[in-house]
Amino acid sequence: MNYVRQLFAARELLANLTRREVQGKYKRTALGQLWSLANPLAAIIIYTFVFAFIFQIEAPLGDPSGLQNYALFLVCGLLPWLFFSRVLGQGVEVIVSNSGLIQKVYFPRIVLPISLTSAIFFSWMFEMAVLIVALLVVQAFSVVLYLPVVLVFMVILAVFASGLAMVTSIINVYFRDLFYLVSIALQFWFYLTPILYPVSLVQTQSDKIGGLFGTPITVLDLYRINPMETFVTIFRNLLYDNRLPDLSVALVASGWAVAAALAGFLLFAKKERDLAELL
Amino acid sequence: MTELAVEVTDVWKKFRLYHERNQSLKSAFMRGKASRHEDFWALQGVSLEVMKGTTHGLIGRNGSGKSTLLKCLAKIYWPTTGEISYNGSMASLLEVGSGFHLELSGRENIYLNGSILGMSKKAIDKKFDEIVDFSGIERFLDQPVKNYSSGMYVRLGFSIAINVDPDILVVDEVLSVGDAEFQEKSIKKFGELKKEGRTIIVVSHSMALMDDLCDRITWIDAGKIKDTGPSSGVIKKYEQDQTHA
Repeated sequence: MNYVRQLFAARELLANLTRREVQGKYKRTALGQLWSLANPLAAIIIYTFVFAFIFQIEAPLGDPSGLQNYALFLVCGLLPWLFFSRVLGQGVEVIVSNSGLIQKVYFPRIVLPISLTSAIFFSWMFEMAVLIVALLVVQAFSVVLYLPVVLVFMVILAVFASGLAMVTSIINVYFRDLFYLVSIALQFWFYLTPILYPVSLVQTQSDKIGGLFGTPITVLDLYRINPMETFVTIFRNLLYDNRLPDLSVALVASGWAVAAALAGFLLFAKKERDLAELL
Repeated sequence: MTELAVEVTDVWKKFRLYHERNQSLKSAFMRGKASRHEDFWALQGVSLEVMKGTTHGLIGRNGSGKSTLLKCLAKIYWPTTGEISYNGSMASLLEVGSGFHLELSGRENIYLNGSILGMSKKAIDKKFDEIVDFSGIERFLDQPVKNYSSGMYVRLGFSIAINVDPDILVVDEVLSVGDAEFQEKSIKKFGELKKEGRTIIVVSHSMALMDDLCDRITWIDAGKIKDTGPSSGVIKKYEQDQTHA
C-alpha cells in the first residue's frame, strides 16, 4: 500500500518521463512524430503484398460491417500487436538501460516501465487515429460508435503489456540475456497470433485433427490460451466487424491484464530496493 | 533547542562479492551450478545522529564505506539491517545532470531533471529564473543539451539540484564542479542553505573544504565509525592517522 502512495506521489515525474520519451524521440527530425507511422506503414505494405497479392488470401467478411479488405483486416490486428511488441521489446531493457539514473537518484523505479508504456501508447493512439480515418474513408461509419470501447481496451492492453514489461525488466537485471530471448519469443508469438490470417483457418485445421491424444482438447483450445489472440480478436470485433466482443472474451482479456500488472507491481515492490546494487 | 534531522540506527550493509556469477540464463543453464560469492560487510553497525540545521561531513579512505553510507542515506541502497529515519524531506546530489536527455533543450531538461529530483512543476516554475541565473547559461537555454560544453552541463545540473530545497540535502563530492568562480558561488550557496536552516550531509576528500563547511564530521574506517565530533578535531586526528599510515 505504501508503494501505491509513493507511485501516486511520483505522478508528475511519470508525466515528465513520458514527455521525455515522446519529445526526445523525434526531436529535430524533419517529419517529427510522423516517423512513428513509418514502421507500421512499411509492415502493412509488405504483408499486404505478400499475403493478399502473392498468396491471395481471401480477406474475411466483416460481420456486420460488410468490410472485405485484407489490408484493413491486417491493420486492425497489427497495430495492437506492434504496440504490445514494442512495449515488451523495449520494456525488458528499461531498468538496465536506465542504470545510471537508478544508481544516482532515488525515485520509485516502477515509473520507468510505466512511462515507457505511456510513451509508446501515445504513438499507438496516433496510428489508431489514422486507421479510424481509413475505416471512415471506406465508409465503415459505425466504427465511430465503438470508439469509446476501443479506447477502454487499448488501456486494458496497455496494462497487460506494462505488467509483462515490469516482470521481464526485473528478470533482465539478473539474467542479462533475457533481452535476446524476448526478441525471439516475440517472433514466434507474432505468427502464433491471428494477425496475418484469420482464426477460422486455425479452426479448420483443428477440426481436421480433432481431440489431441484422445482428450477433448483441440489445437484451437491451445491456440486460444495466447492472451494476444484474445486482444486481437477484441480489436477486430470492434474495428473490422463493428460489434462488441463477447463478454467472456472481454473478461479473459481483463483478467490477463490484472494478473500481469499485479505480478509486475508486486515484483517491483519487493525488488526495487535491491536494483541499484544489482546493476 | 535542537532536534534530530536524520537518525541512523545500527546500520549494517552487506554486499555480495561474486567469484563466479551467473549473469545470463545461458551460463545458469550451461554451468548448472549456483553462483559462488562471498559476503562483504561494507557497513558494520553504524549509528549516527545529525541535528537539524547542521552540516555533517563524512570522511574516510577509499573503500572505507563512507560512500555506501551516503548512498544508504540517499535511499539508493537499503541497509541490510538497521534503520535510517528522516525528519523532513530528503534530496540527494550524487552526480550532477543524471537523467538529462541530450536531445532536449536546457529549458526542457530543467523541468525533467527537477521532477526526477522530486520537485513539483509549480516549484520549478517558481525557481526557474534562479536556476537559470545561477547556472549562467541563459543564452543557451533553448539549445539541446548535447551541444553544451561539459562545464555548462555540470553547471546546469548543479543549479537544478541546489534549488530543490529539501529539508535534508545529501551531497557527494560534487562541490568540485565548474571553474573556480562557479565553485566559489556554489560554496556561498551552501552557506545560504545552511542559514535557511537546512541540514546537509556531505562527502569530500578535500579536508580544507570540509573544515570550512562542516559543523561536525564523522570518520569512517573499515565500515565502522572511528570518530565523530566537531570538524577540526576529527580532521586533525584523521590527518595524523594518514601520515602515520
